[in-house]
Amino acid sequence: MTETVPKDTIPAKALVWLLVSFGLLLVPQWDRLPPWLIAACSVLALWRWLGQGGRFGLPGRWLRLVIMLGLIGAYVATVHGRFTVETAASFFVLAVGLKWLETRTSRDFYVLFFILCYLAAVNFLFQQGVLWSLLNLTATFVLLVGLQLLNAPQAPNALKAGWKRLGGLLLKTLPLVVLLFIFFPRMAPLWSVPLVSGQARTGLSDQMAPGSISSLAQSSERAFRVTFGGEMPPPRERYWRGLILDRFDDGKWTQWQPEPSRPAGRVLSDGGVGALKADEYDVLMEPTYQRWAFGLDDSRAVSRNVEETANGLFRFRRPADTAVRYRLARTDPKSNVQTLSQLDRQRYLHLPPKGNPRARALAQSLRQEHDSDRGFVNAILQRFRNQAYFYTLRPPKMPDNSIDTLLFEAKRGFCAHYASATAFLLRAAGIPARIVMGYQGGSPGEDGRYLIVRQYDAHAWVEAWLPDRGWVRVDPTAAISPARIESGLREAVADEGSFLENEWASPAKYGDIALVQWMSLKLDAINYQWQRWVVGYQGQTQMNLMSHLPGNPSLRDLGYLSAGLVGVAVLLAAAWSLWRQRSGQSADPVQRLFNDWLRLLRRQGLEPRPARTPLELAAQAAKADPERARMHLAFARAVNNHYYGSGSFTPEDRRRLRFLLRQMRR
Amino acid sequence: MIKSLRQRWRRWVNRRIPRADEQTFTQNNIFILPSGAGVVFGALLVIMLLTGINYQNSLIYLLTFVLGAIFVAAMHQTHRNLAGLQLALVSAGEAFPGSPVVFRLRASARQQSYSLLLRSDPETPVSIDVGPDGPVEFDMTTVARRRGPVRLPDIRVETRFPFGLLTAWSWMRLRSPGLCYPKPVTPPYDAGGDDDGDTAQSKKAADPDHADIRPWRRGDLSQRVLWKRYARTGEMVIAEWEGEQGNPVWLDYDAFPGADRELRLSYLAALVESRSHAHQPYGLRLPGLKIDPDTGPVHRQQCLHALGSCGFEAPERGVSSASSAAADYLGSTV
Repeated sequence: MTETVPKDTIPAKALVWLLVSFGLLLVPQWDRLPPWLIAACSVLALWRWLGQGGRFGLPGRWLRLVIMLGLIGAYVATVHGRFTVETAASFFVLAVGLKWLETRTSRDFYVLFFILCYLAAVNFLFQQGVLWSLLNLTATFVLLVGLQLLNAPQAPNALKAGWKRLGGLLLKTLPLVVLLFIFFPRMAPLWSVPLVSGQARTGLSDQMAPGSISSLAQSSERAFRVTFGGEMPPPRERYWRGLILDRFDDGKWTQWQPEPSRPAGRVLSDGGVGALKADEYDVLMEPTYQRWAFGLDDSRAVSRNVEETANGLFRFRRPADTAVRYRLARTDPKSNVQTLSQLDRQRYLHLPPKGNPRARALAQSLRQEHDSDRGFVNAILQRFRNQAYFYTLRPPKMPDNSIDTLLFEAKRGFCAHYASATAFLLRAAGIPARIVMGYQGGSPGEDGRYLIVRQYDAHAWVEAWLPDRGWVRVDPTAAISPARIESGLREAVADEGSFLENEWASPAKYGDIALVQWMSLKLDAINYQWQRWVVGYQGQTQMNLMSHLPGNPSLRDLGYLSAGLVGVAVLLAAAWSLWRQRSGQSADPVQRLFNDWLRLLRRQGLEPRPARTPLELAAQAAKADPERARMHLAFARAVNNHYYGSGSFTPEDRRRLRFLLRQMRR
Repeated sequence: MIKSLRQRWRRWVNRRIPRADEQTFTQNNIFILPSGAGVVFGALLVIMLLTGINYQNSLIYLLTFVLGAIFVAAMHQTHRNLAGLQLALVSAGEAFPGSPVVFRLRASARQQSYSLLLRSDPETPVSIDVGPDGPVEFDMTTVARRRGPVRLPDIRVETRFPFGLLTAWSWMRLRSPGLCYPKPVTPPYDAGGDDDGDTAQSKKAADPDHADIRPWRRGDLSQRVLWKRYARTGEMVIAEWEGEQGNPVWLDYDAFPGADRELRLSYLAALVESRSHAHQPYGLRLPGLKIDPDTGPVHRQQCLHALGSCGFEAPERGVSSASSAAADYLGSTV
């Protein structure tokens, strides 16, 4: 058990856990990291592992330098000088990858430990689901076990003992962690921080080409979840407006004025607190990296992290780079008729001078039949309803004059096609019109308590300006395929079999299998609660909870409280360990008997010093008390046999020791 | 400034941890501070907390609290790893100048203590694991420089278990010194009695059959038992040379007039070594001490010990007797 300290190297069994943790921490970043980086890191980690036993040489200084320069060059080329948390995260990963080849001493081990701990924290910026959180925490625990193995590699059963010890520590510190989580003051951000990601995500974009939404329809990723304070609105009212496209050019719908891009600013997460009122609804939106928020018609902002724009849309103060919760309220339809300025009117009527001649002609002829704007709108919808137009996820290609092709030849299209054609016809007839993009529908979550809106619920429709009523929703898709509006995309394309064609692993695809459906809803419900109450436990939420406490503590009070909690925890732990040490009896029965013997000798006026061997003590005792000399000697021999003898120590021997001790006491 | 602070700190520690040959580590004498890695870890936690605050990310808060709580709990783990450890000096060694003096120590603990690092000089730390399944013995060495008692520099007992983020440490300051013999210096002339007697003596010594033989009595040194005869006949007899010879070789402190004390002792040490090497019996006369002639390693050690401690306060006899008793004990169990 004694050994001189070996040269400072990393034991293999500690290294392997470091590697495992690295692997686990890469998983949440899998789809964000450039593939070459993952490949390079795997190769470097593998190289380090092979180099552990000396079976495989680690690179020398020059080769290391070449590898380092090469990878850093590739990194610089990939990030294009943009700085987001994402590029920072991939830089961390790169640093760890390069560090593998230089991990020789325990100091390097610690450097990696620190980087990986922080990587776990960074991962929480990207993924906040329950399972991802568990994965991240597990990876951190693996790191801590690796540290224990680094510090005591020679201990028997070190791995099992390490996990056990860590488990014990976690269990003992759980109350402190929970209390700190609840009471630690959630300060406002101290300074503005870069966006978590500059990468585009699956989701709506600020332009609409004919095929753009049908690609979204292939994704079952969640867009947002909604809890209503009152009744959930029926499917035909679930139009989630996101953004407005008002410029048609070159077959594409875009915005006249691009959304003002603002610097990221501080993260504000006041998602509204307290019970939802009957007209309020609470949206938990997945990150879009855009500023737009989705809301029903005629809503107003309740939480302060969203603001309403002139068009009745909602915008965040900072792009939604993580999941964000906000609260809106439904209002009565606006009774006062809005006005449309001349400039806006021109904007909403503008069409390119050429293209789609047949559509223009159709608009002209319909205009002559129907005097009123409303009559014209109805005529278009009537046409879609009566003629053989099909709603399909597999429309034919329509490269030129796409609206003509759709209306008169193909007659097959997705919501984007029909919305585009409708808006075109309206404008051609002199009715101001615009495209609205957002989501339509959503499926109820577990027990129908909330609504899940997924990417395949993405939808585009039209709003037309009617002089007496203002902007009115016109949805050609509802005319062509009422099932899409009433039951969702799955039903609408059921015959075609094109629902989530390429998403084999998505549970949503197998929504008709009861077990899969139940499990995926259950998991979603857990995740939803997790996101609302744990992930979303921030500023206002905390203050709201605290306001139920007596004295209504302020942030500063919470700071004192947290410091007090830590202090009390430290004191409790100290008291406990003192108590343990005081009351702690030796686990070794022979040691206990030996201690009793020492006490006996002390009573007899001897000064037994532990440095003496039992036999010396026995000799000393024999001199002082010749009558019991033999007993002392026998006792000492037995103790020696126990500690130095090869034979095992049986309960029989222990009884003998006890007997001797009793005899000596007489 | 820093130096004087350091000295004051050491003085304080020394008052707190008195010199002793056995020591139990408890709350009273264990110090604990974050290690270098622990300080960096603390800084990392602060950075993580700032990240959590600025991104308003609850899960980063959570991770920070988990790691922070483990850091606090590790403080107690690390402390407990050292608390309850007992260190005791088994024997303090003796050596010639320039050679290592070996101090044998025994560590025992009521509960498992992992990866304890002990060092009295920074170069050669010793790492041990001690548990309730039995004490562990190990050696610490220091190089002997000058004749006389040799103190082992304070032993720093340290542990960073389990995470290496905290260092718990204490000192053990041995009370009993080891001993450094005088450096043997061959005297210019042999002052150890007359040469004839010497050779005659060696002849006798080489041929124990010519010595007087008497039965073994309690208290006789085991080296003087004629073990060969014991093996042959089964009787334990002692060869007695000196009584009859009357002319043993006396190595005498007073035989070197003009030399100073250290030189005289060095001469004597060289003579002890050469006689002992030649298996010749010899006795030693020092001011206030006389060691009767004899041979054998124990006798040699006794003489060298006397030379080494000459002029110093009588060192703790307890330890050296402990070591010889330990030798006896080993002899009796073998």
